Amino acid sequence: MKRGIAALLMTIAVLFSGISIAAHHSFAAQYDSNKPITLKGGIIRIEWANPHIYFYVDVVDSGGGTEHWAIEGGAPSTLYRAGWRKDSAKVGDVVTVSGFLARDGSKLVNMQRALLADGRNLFVGNQSYYQKGQ
Amino acid sequence: MPGHRGFSGGGPASLLARVAVGIGAVLLLAAPTAAQSSAQRELSGFWINQYTPDLSVVLGKQPPFTEFGAERWRTVDTAKDPTAVCLPVGPSRGFTAPFPFLLVQDDKTISIMFEYQAIWRAIYLDGRAHPDDLADYPYFMGHSIGRWEGDTLVVDTQGIDERSWLDTAGHEHSDKLKLTERFKKTGPDTIQWTVTYDDPVYFTRPWSIERTFTRGKPGDRVLPYTCNENNKDVEHLLPHQPNLNYKHVPEPATKKPGGI
Repeated sequence: MKRGIAALLMTIAVLFSGISIAAHHSFAAQYDSNKPITLKGGIIRIEWANPHIYFYVDVVDSGGGTEHWAIEGGAPSTLYRAGWRKDSAKVGDVVTVSGFLARDGSKLVNMQRALLADGRNLFVGNQSYYQKGQ
Repeated sequence: MPGHRGFSGGGPASLLARVAVGIGAVLLLAAPTAAQSSAQRELSGFWINQYTPDLSVVLGKQPPFTEFGAERWRTVDTAKDPTAVCLPVGPSRGFTAPFPFLLVQDDKTISIMFEYQAIWRAIYLDGRAHPDDLADYPYFMGHSIGRWEGDTLVVDTQGIDERSWLDTAGHEHSDKLKLTERFKKTGPDTIQWTVTYDDPVYFTRPWSIERTFTRGKPGDRVLPYTCNENNKDVEHLLPHQPNLNYKHVPEPATKKPGGI
């Protein structure tokens, strides 16, 4: 229960804190804060690995075709402390992701928010559980 | 005898007794102080950084750049962040990244194990100096020697590889950088960390910031961070120079004592 509350608070914190900043390097060197995007698709692969987790979704486009998108999240340790585990989301889950597009035009999103079809919040972005502000 | 005036009414035995009582009183008074001091100097534990991606936000302004330092700041490309390619984070960012660290201490050494990049620092407290050949063998995390000033640990770090950055925002430094860090317990679960950056290549004078480390929860542990495990970011980085409009305003020259 505490873990769920922590994850919820974390998600709220992310939503109200604007664009998250990657600890690994500057956010703006990779992503465009002027290009927000929301995608809905089924998870086809999860990489719970450093320095940041990735998962991949198949998104049905307007023409009925399928696009493969990569979604980048935070560091595994950050997510772990926020209450998430490797199996918090599974291949086959349908997820709606909100984030920002990569600047290089690739089908890559920096995740700020993700919701599973059953209403559960999924991984948060590159924000630290331990962040105490500036 | 004048010299015995204060001890009138007692012989040698009485004098010894008074001295013993006096010593006892001093020890009783000193004992709690020593214990408090010991606790104040006990820095071991699992500590949480204050995430500080841009030191100038804490400083409230840009650091006092030299002309060279200002131009480097104006033109810095954050896509070239050394940590993006998993080079070691450097001593400044180790304590300002959004990851905890474990500190283990004895009388001669303090060892710091950073979760971020699974990297370490050693602070030698045995009175040694920096190695004579340090400039020839720099290390990304530098070479650190420490001493106690009262209950404050003062750490001098030099020999820091100039490829590291001071923060995520892109403040750089030269191989002349000297860090002076002061660690002071401000409570059982907090350490005040004051760091002074002294680099005559980049800055006209030393400047400092202050951060607080907070003790983690019981059972907290250092988790894996192996940067090269799945670092796909580097494939997507594009040149990014956020400070090209920065205008350098040199600080007014200060008169040297006795100068004209």
